[in-house]
Amino acid sequence: MNSDGRATTQQRLLSRLMQIAFIAVLLLLWSLATTVWGVSRILLPNPLNVWHQLVEVVSSGAFIPDLKVTLGELTAAFAIAMSLGVSLGYSISRSRFLIKVFEPLLAAIYAIPIILFLPLYVLLLGLGPGSKIALGATISFFPIVLSTIAGFGNVDRRLVIVARSMGANDLQMFRHVLLPAALPVILAGLRMGFTVALLSVIASETIASFAGLGHHIVDLAENMDTARMFAYIVFVIAIVAFLNAVVSRLERWVRWR
Amino acid sequence: MGAMAVSRTEVAHPIMPAAPNIWRRLERRPGIARLGVVILLLLIWEIAARYFLDRDFISPPSVVVMSLDKLFGTPGVPSALWLTLYEVAAAFVLSVIAGAGIGLAVGLNRFAHQSFMPIVLLLYGIPQITILPIFVLVFGVGVASKIAFGVSHGMFPIMISVTAGVQKIEPVLFVSARSMGANRWQLFRFVIFPHMIPSFFTGMRLGMSGVLLGVLLAELYVSTAGIGYFTSIFTQNFDATKLMGLVSMLAAIAIALNEIVRRAELHYARSRD
Amino acid sequence: MTPAPSAISVHGVSHQFGDSGEARHVQALLDTSLEVVRGELLCLIGPSGCGKSTLLNIMGGLIAPTTGSVTVSGKPVRGPLPRDLAFVFQESALFPWNTVFENIVLGMTFQGVAKAERRDRAGRALEAVGLLDFAEYYPAQLSGGMRQRAALARAISLETEILLMDEPFGALDEQTRMVLGEDLSVLLSRSNKTIVFVTHSLGEAVFLADRVAVFSARPGTIKQIITVDAPHPRKPSFMTAPKFHTLRDQLYGLLHDEIRKAMSETAQARRRYDQAGAAKIDSGDRT
Repeated sequence: MNSDGRATTQQRLLSRLMQIAFIAVLLLLWSLATTVWGVSRILLPNPLNVWHQLVEVVSSGAFIPDLKVTLGELTAAFAIAMSLGVSLGYSISRSRFLIKVFEPLLAAIYAIPIILFLPLYVLLLGLGPGSKIALGATISFFPIVLSTIAGFGNVDRRLVIVARSMGANDLQMFRHVLLPAALPVILAGLRMGFTVALLSVIASETIASFAGLGHHIVDLAENMDTARMFAYIVFVIAIVAFLNAVVSRLERWVRWR
Repeated sequence: MGAMAVSRTEVAHPIMPAAPNIWRRLERRPGIARLGVVILLLLIWEIAARYFLDRDFISPPSVVVMSLDKLFGTPGVPSALWLTLYEVAAAFVLSVIAGAGIGLAVGLNRFAHQSFMPIVLLLYGIPQITILPIFVLVFGVGVASKIAFGVSHGMFPIMISVTAGVQKIEPVLFVSARSMGANRWQLFRFVIFPHMIPSFFTGMRLGMSGVLLGVLLAELYVSTAGIGYFTSIFTQNFDATKLMGLVSMLAAIAIALNEIVRRAELHYARSRD
Repeated sequence: MTPAPSAISVHGVSHQFGDSGEARHVQALLDTSLEVVRGELLCLIGPSGCGKSTLLNIMGGLIAPTTGSVTVSGKPVRGPLPRDLAFVFQESALFPWNTVFENIVLGMTFQGVAKAERRDRAGRALEAVGLLDFAEYYPAQLSGGMRQRAALARAISLETEILLMDEPFGALDEQTRMVLGEDLSVLLSRSNKTIVFVTHSLGEAVFLADRVAVFSARPGTIKQIITVDAPHPRKPSFMTAPKFHTLRDQLYGLLHDEIRKAMSETAQARRRYDQAGAAKIDSGDRT
């Protein structure tokens, strides 16, 4: 809404300054709190300690066994959700009637906080990776199946008709018409599915597990090793951000292949 | 019109025998078919749990339903459910206040928006589950941490929706109201408030989901008298029936709350634009 | 086998959508018969909803008629015949994720053409429509007229005897239509294709067709077939010839009543629909 171009750049600089100032003030308050104001070190660790711990964790590779567990659970959960979601989604999309029956049903179930299933899975599969994979697959399944239904179900009918008139058989129709037409929507669903699978795996590790990154944070909390816990939290946030960025990049790359 | 009005079935099967009438009638009522699917799934669950699976791990729906009175009879369970409801309600109210408040402040002021919106979005993007232990460290294992974590999840969608809603208000409305001599309060009541209502209700719907998620996560993580406590107990005792009953009750509460905000959103979004 | 004299034979075709008594029942065609002569360009023209597009789809095996039959080159039509007929639709229906070249190659892949041949045929087809320079472009980068040229090239590359075209220039502006019409006439003179062409435009029908089949209003049936006795390729000057105007007036005379009938039928249907809605509200039904 700024008609004056110069004001915008000036404002942008000022806002940038504001943001930096905001973060700087936060850091300052944090340092003060832990040093001069004497907030308990168990509650709020010294930022320098946190930094040291972070460096130590990353350089020593102490995170690796937990990372392996988490990534393993994530991979398994996502693989299951993807294969079930895409195949079921494709099958349902073949019939307008099936779509009308199942799509609202699936959307309704997705609206419940699926984290509620975690105690049931823990009862069934114990505290090991099984329950994490099961929950991750369950949560991840829904955006994938819903987007697959939407993708295949909304293929432009004219393209299908034209292909049929040129003699396309079912396999050709799928490979050359349905799949390319549906791909953007399906990929978006897969990206969403990956993100929720990752979050769900970490959440279930936090709540009920004996291994994995989520669990490690809880472990450190229980041992009152707050500085190292903060370090791990920063590390895990970075990992999540990194994985999400990779998946986004991947999605864009596949779209233009 | 024309070639594109070709019906789908006719293209797929050029020579197609007339479909039997009952199938055609079913085709017109997907709701009935959906009900049928749900009943079928319940039946499968019932039969599998009753005859094939271990009762310690899965309970048939009939048993779960019939044991609900025993569930509610378990000392502490009803109050745990009420407690959850209270936590959700409190967190929701606080989320609305905080979210709408900050949303308005950031949305109405261009500079504030440019400066702080990126920070808000950055915070929104953090996987909050990682900082749950911090919440418990700061707020304790009681009700406060559940409410706090709920607020933390619920206020962002409300903030973002309200900001978006306020931004959409055409500046010409502000100008004309000001020119007619409206003061700050009148501006809010007659220009800002009515226009941000649809976004506000959308934000509330998303906020409710967030609050539910936050409160449930916190409860499941650590709970001394809430539903998290009982899910732990029932799991350790392999009491599948009571566990499934409790989960069902919570799911019902979640569905009901979501429905309420959803209906509210539809109602208020309709009566505006 | 001796080649059939007619490229397409339509015998007593009737078609209805939906069952009688249903709200959505429509009698699109009523007892239509037609012989399409090999090598001619036959236009189908008529008021909206008269079933001409439906007949085209039936000819091409995309729809099975409720009664009657169609044979193409002596073969009964039971489904799409990709080696005998190629379609060009009003909306070009090019696959947006493929380039023009890839679109044409894909059509041949569906038809079952050998890989080695595809490139050559695509090149020739693109040359015939003047799009050789745009082979690597995506449909979104082309104008409407160019997209239709590409769709035409795709149909040509399939080297079928018959082309079925459903208002292919309908979405284009008049100037582009005229130019493309001239090009089509040139194409027709160079090849020995049989073309069935559905159109709304009287001028287009007279300019392009060897014969024009005039449809009645719904339920559609062929009212009369007019012959345009002029050789292809037709020059733009044909449009100013007295013969052109006579034929055009003749067409208009035949169509005028049918168009009025079609419009009044639409108005009647609208009234019936509104009354039904009012009745429902009276009887307490929630609409």
